[in-house]
Amino acid sequence: MSRLHDMGGRFGDGSIPIPRDGKNEVTNIEPTFKYEWHSKAWAITLAAGALGEWNLDISRHYRECLPPKDYVNFSYYEKWLAALTNLLIDKELISLSELKEYVSAAENGTLKKFSDKNIKLDQRTWLAKDVQKTLGWGGPSVRDIDISPVFNIGDKVVTENYSPNKDIIGGHTRLPKYAMGRVGVIHSYNNNHVFPDKNAHDLGENPLPLYTVEFKSSEIWGELAENENDSIFLDLWEPYLKLFPH
Amino acid sequence: MSEKKKIADGDNHSHDHAHSHLPSDPELRVKAVETLLLNKGLIDSKTLDELIDTYENRIGPKNGANVVAKAWVDPEYKKRLLIDATSAIRELSYQGRQGENMVVVENTPEIHNVIVCTLCSCYPWPVLGIPPTWYKSDEYRSRTVREPRKVLLEFGLSLDPKVQIKVWDSTAEIRYLVLPMRPKGTENMDESELAELVTRNSMIGTGLPKEIK
Repeated sequence: MSRLHDMGGRFGDGSIPIPRDGKNEVTNIEPTFKYEWHSKAWAITLAAGALGEWNLDISRHYRECLPPKDYVNFSYYEKWLAALTNLLIDKELISLSELKEYVSAAENGTLKKFSDKNIKLDQRTWLAKDVQKTLGWGGPSVRDIDISPVFNIGDKVVTENYSPNKDIIGGHTRLPKYAMGRVGVIHSYNNNHVFPDKNAHDLGENPLPLYTVEFKSSEIWGELAENENDSIFLDLWEPYLKLFPH
Repeated sequence: MSEKKKIADGDNHSHDHAHSHLPSDPELRVKAVETLLLNKGLIDSKTLDELIDTYENRIGPKNGANVVAKAWVDPEYKKRLLIDATSAIRELSYQGRQGENMVVVENTPEIHNVIVCTLCSCYPWPVLGIPPTWYKSDEYRSRTVREPRKVLLEFGLSLDPKVQIKVWDSTAEIRYLVLPMRPKGTENMDESELAELVTRNSMIGTGLPKEIK
């Protein structure tokens, strides 16, 4: 089973919303953020994330856990904002009554930002002077630990089926359903990475070998495959895979 | 069957989702949460400005274009780029968030590479910036793995059936960049002229570099 965000291969989606110029040619030129509120939703998500109360996998999982009706109706940055709001409440950075107070102020036009001198910055707050340094460092997911990979390049493997997350019912996973129960070949081993299936649920980083696995498109889509030469590559953690035949 | 301890946090239906209390107008919704966080001192408005300015004006596809152009003129650099893209890209001072583990995949007359993230919107920020709307769309995410040729056709790219398409679905923290083929007739162009030919879409695999007329 899976959730709505896991949409690879599904039917029903129409043409790609590709921007075109006056001559109807595909254009690469478009604003980074279409509306100011997009940039704000994005930036407050990054800035709140920097408080260190959750990790990247948790924030992804919160977006995935939006109720299906909301997931479908919300635009991209509305999903970000909704997931952020739920995280802020669950991690007790804001209270529901504070949220309701600010929401009704926003609706009544009485929302007021305090003057800077009346704001006391939390000691965790991400400061502008540290932005470039923090972005430049990023959040590496590779962990330097001594685990040898079980599989070798060229090994035939089959992916987990049904429910890859072994700890949590409906838990986060990065094995898409279109690639479940399929046979592929180990293309490369990419060191040991934090395991999202645990990290998204505060169960520790549990770094594990990460492989890039090649699947023939005909193995994934059967007779629907557009061209039997084509392949799909996925980055998969060791627990998603078993040696084939097993 | 394994004993599963609990259900996912988001599936806890004993209380309403907090986000259901937000206003229906998304602009007001952002304003409410932003002002609350600012007044509580949990975010700083100067940090928001710095972040937005960075990705609107400083980090974007021009970075990736410089990487590609350098690989076109410098065979040794190209070799390093294909073996350890993260380090080779860092040589040009592009690094960090959402580009911690870079892999560059090379287009050849026989192979065409396309990048997608079917589960969310993973994208190599240090070299391409923030992903365009179409990259984050349901249409691109759902269709690219099943019918890449039809998707590429919508972008105006018609590939010979003999060319192998490799679709890279960014399911972990590895971020991909396509190294497109250098256009014909560009032998006399220098690195900075070549960089002008490299489009964003050519580095995702949904386009080609500009041809010279």
